[in-house]
Amino acid sequence: MRASAQLRATIQRTTPPLLILLSAAIIVLGKADQTMFDSLRTTVTDDAAPALDVLSRPLNAAAAIVERARGIVTMYQDNVRLARDNERLLQWQQVALKLSADNRDLRGLLKVVPETAVSYVTARVIANSGGGYVRTVMVNAGSDEGLARGQAAVTGEGLAGRLTEVGTRAARVLLITDLNSRIPIVIESSHANAVLAGDNSGRPRLIYVGDHDATKIGDRILTSGEGGVFPPGLPVGVVAALERGGPRVEPYVELSQLGYVLVVDYGLSGALPQPVPVAARPGRRSKPATADEASVR
Amino acid sequence: MALKVSSIPSLPRVNSGLARTLPIATTVLAAIIAILPVQVPGYAALTPAFTLMAVYHWTIYRPDLLPPIGLFAVGLAEDLLSGAPVGVGALVLLLARAAVLRYRRHCINRTFPFVWAGFTLLSAAAMLVLWALHSLVQLTFFDLRATVFRTVLTIAIFPVASFALGRTQRALMGAAE
Repeated sequence: MRASAQLRATIQRTTPPLLILLSAAIIVLGKADQTMFDSLRTTVTDDAAPALDVLSRPLNAAAAIVERARGIVTMYQDNVRLARDNERLLQWQQVALKLSADNRDLRGLLKVVPETAVSYVTARVIANSGGGYVRTVMVNAGSDEGLARGQAAVTGEGLAGRLTEVGTRAARVLLITDLNSRIPIVIESSHANAVLAGDNSGRPRLIYVGDHDATKIGDRILTSGEGGVFPPGLPVGVVAALERGGPRVEPYVELSQLGYVLVVDYGLSGALPQPVPVAARPGRRSKPATADEASVR
Repeated sequence: MALKVSSIPSLPRVNSGLARTLPIATTVLAAIIAILPVQVPGYAALTPAFTLMAVYHWTIYRPDLLPPIGLFAVGLAEDLLSGAPVGVGALVLLLARAAVLRYRRHCINRTFPFVWAGFTLLSAAAMLVLWALHSLVQLTFFDLRATVFRTVLTIAIFPVASFALGRTQRALMGAAE
């Protein structure tokens, strides 16, 4: 009896420091091998998805109500604006029809290979990442709905991000503002290629811009399609500021207010390699490779 | 680093099973609230640290019912669900618990402003540790301003959380200490 009480006291005393050390060890392990906790993450996400799905519904409903109330207040102005827009768009429609006919004829003449079919899955955002250190959202669709790693998440306005983890019922979208996001883009006016690099701020930065002077505020940024993950020509944002570290891009999508996203399958996701376990990576723990490196130097 | 952990004091026994799970249940709830997608511009980055509030409250009033292993599980689940590096949230929650447990005796039977001041110190320290850990893991310096705003928001919201937690505690466990 006495011994068991003593044992219990010992366990009670040693558990907290042990768990603290364990957490620290997990951080180090996760850093050393980024893929280590992927399957655990997917499992936990899948298990939590139904609960998060239900709990996030009232928030979506509340946002919809606010939107509706705002709509009622501004109904008259909206109506005037929409009538004007409509008039203008009808003219554009004529232009578009003519261009589309021209395009079809020219494609016929050139025997252009038709673009691959595109499939869309609409998914609702059920969780985001509280705190400012990661910029991802979780959506309530997964491999059951045909989602796969690397697919683009877009809204009506433009590119929001891409899928990085896909479970059976839920998937994670890495937003274009996240620190780890790198999107090959093209600057529309100058046709210059660059990479859009997120840094957790609201405005990602353009890096590897060839000609800095050619970039102007207001330039449209589109995906370039290089690397084969995204199709070319998806609208991403506009250049909003020119800084020393590179131009800043204001995304077209209001990323902090994502309610729904369209996950688009362009049939390109096969191009994104699956993560390779550390042990299987070439060059790891292989002496000859290091010797080769040394001899090259 | 001092990992010495003060022993858990003996508190009046709670017999109701529901009441016994209250601390863990509210901490889990806090973790879920923190990742729900509130559609307010800029909210995601400035979400208050709700779990920290629950940990502070329960470690002061009922440390016996918030076991470190439960806290570890909540922190780990939060990291996994929010897409953050695994272990960071768990480590910060456990460190916060250890710190609060150490100075716990100064915080009980005190007026609310004193408890709030204690939370101010804790959240400032916890947010700084969180910032340092994330900066270290991601090998980059995150903008400290966002962390400062988030800390201020967390401190500002604490009275509401403390009131709600205190009320549920009184309703389910009888008088608080």
